[in-house]
Amino acid sequence: MTDIATATPAPALRLPRMPWYVALGMGWIIFVLTVALLADVITPYVFTAMDLKYRLVPPFQTWAHPLGTDELGRDVLSRLIVSIRVSLLIAFGATVISAVLGTTLGFLAAHFRGIVEQAVLMLADFQAALPFLILALSVLAFFGNSLPLLIGLMGLYGWERYARIARGLAISASAQGYATAITQLGATPQRVYLRHILPNIASTLIVSMTLIFPEVILLESGLSFLGLGVQPPMTSLGNMVGYGREYITRAAWIMLCPATVIVLTTLAVSLVGDWLRDRLDPTLG
Amino acid sequence: MIRFILTRLLRAFVTIVLVVTFAFVVLRLSGDPATIILGPEAPPEAIAAFRASWGLDQPVMVQYVQYFAAILQGDLGMSMRDGRPAFDLVMERIPATLALTIPALFLKLALGVPAGVYAALHQGTAFDRTVMVAAVMGFAVPSFVLALGLVLVFAVNLGWLPSGGRDTVWHAILPIITLGLGGAAALARFTRSAMLEVLGQPYIRTASSKGLAWAVVVRSHALPNAAIPTVTLIGFLVGSLIAGAIVVESVFSWPGVGRLMVVAVANRDLAVVQCILLLVATTMVTSNLIVDFLYGALDPRLRHGARAAA
Repeated sequence: MTDIATATPAPALRLPRMPWYVALGMGWIIFVLTVALLADVITPYVFTAMDLKYRLVPPFQTWAHPLGTDELGRDVLSRLIVSIRVSLLIAFGATVISAVLGTTLGFLAAHFRGIVEQAVLMLADFQAALPFLILALSVLAFFGNSLPLLIGLMGLYGWERYARIARGLAISASAQGYATAITQLGATPQRVYLRHILPNIASTLIVSMTLIFPEVILLESGLSFLGLGVQPPMTSLGNMVGYGREYITRAAWIMLCPATVIVLTTLAVSLVGDWLRDRLDPTLG
Repeated sequence: MIRFILTRLLRAFVTIVLVVTFAFVVLRLSGDPATIILGPEAPPEAIAAFRASWGLDQPVMVQYVQYFAAILQGDLGMSMRDGRPAFDLVMERIPATLALTIPALFLKLALGVPAGVYAALHQGTAFDRTVMVAAVMGFAVPSFVLALGLVLVFAVNLGWLPSGGRDTVWHAILPIITLGLGGAAALARFTRSAMLEVLGQPYIRTASSKGLAWAVVVRSHALPNAAIPTVTLIGFLVGSLIAGAIVVESVFSWPGVGRLMVVAVANRDLAVVQCILLLVATTMVTSNLIVDFLYGALDPRLRHGARAAA
């Protein structure tokens, strides 16, 4: 991240200037992260607890259930908080897996060239040629569903983009003096790639992560909405929307609350991601 | 040119082989088909007979070749749910899906391309900013949220349109709008940036400084060049005509391929899933191939160069 400091002449310790909508996006991201981290402490009720006396209470009617309750009298606010945690956890886990996998494959392709490179590029073409949703649905059909499998599956999303970026950048980095110098000093390839090349291309990879992260949220919520992602009694944002769909005529709030969170979160992350890209790396598509 | 076509055909073929291999591998990894189909309590003799009749007692490589041969002959297995050939089940659903996705494609093109071009030509104006905001929103609002929002307004509150099913033409309107709006936003954003990039090129400055009317510069210099990257995206949209409506069909209980896929996944009806997977892969690969050829026709550099920027 030293690139930012060198790119802008502003004094250190001052917040970088950002348009108001990016600042709002940042604020929202910090807010949902806090909610996700503190989920256990701030949920007013256990998210599966039923209160049959208070069923389908609309929002803002009673302090006991500020966002209302669902058909089984479960508190919508508590479910929402837990859902935010689950959805963010899956999206974070998947983005990290995908970035690590893609970068590693990209480095391998750049280092060995030849047949390894061709194999990686072929797999990347294959991945890009198939709509990911179809691939994900097929795997779920064949293997059934569980949370680790779901995170692993989502972790395949977008790896080909990291791989292409890492390969391209590593090839051009290894042509530069510093990589050659380190190699001549006797550094192992792992050391060259992880300690020297990786920090130099990290900003581009981080920007890619912020661009892919919202797509992962959308994918997970889509799968969960279809009832094929996170399984009850566990809940996620997409799951809540899917459940709320049944009550759309009588209790639209069950569906509107999580839907709003999904939209605001993807919007916030992609606004911040676009802004970061424009600042750090305008060459990224 | 022949070399160009041959490399593309080879790559398309390799992708299809990879998809078939993927289907074969996950099918084998997901458990013993004999136990899945006959149930865990089936007598050992029945399992042995089943394995022999399906060739499951053969070495894996032999099974793989047989699997390939069967697919080439159009034999994609029987649906475990209603015992009919999976291929027929999927084919029956295609018209319903296309009835949504083709009008939606035209809607995307009719809204997205002109909006993108106009926004690029009038960069920084209120129209441009509106297009950009709409494009960002179109990305951030998932199709099921948009679909449910439309249902809430037009079906539940106003009561103008039905919320699901496929009885009349009216039933198709909300799904088509849902699909069209999301795609139009992405297309507008893409067209705009393609157009802006072309407008910044030196040959545009040359053309207008040699005295050509701006309309002529745009029509005969900017648009054809901006069309090249846009064609790729349109090709992708055509390729996803079958797979692009999975979520929307499910929201509107529309009996298309996407709905079939979701139900088949929930029931673990593997033959149907595999059939849709192969069908979608083939459509995608075919449309990518057509795009590659169009690209070659639109941009002579690619015919002679080694490989398009991947």
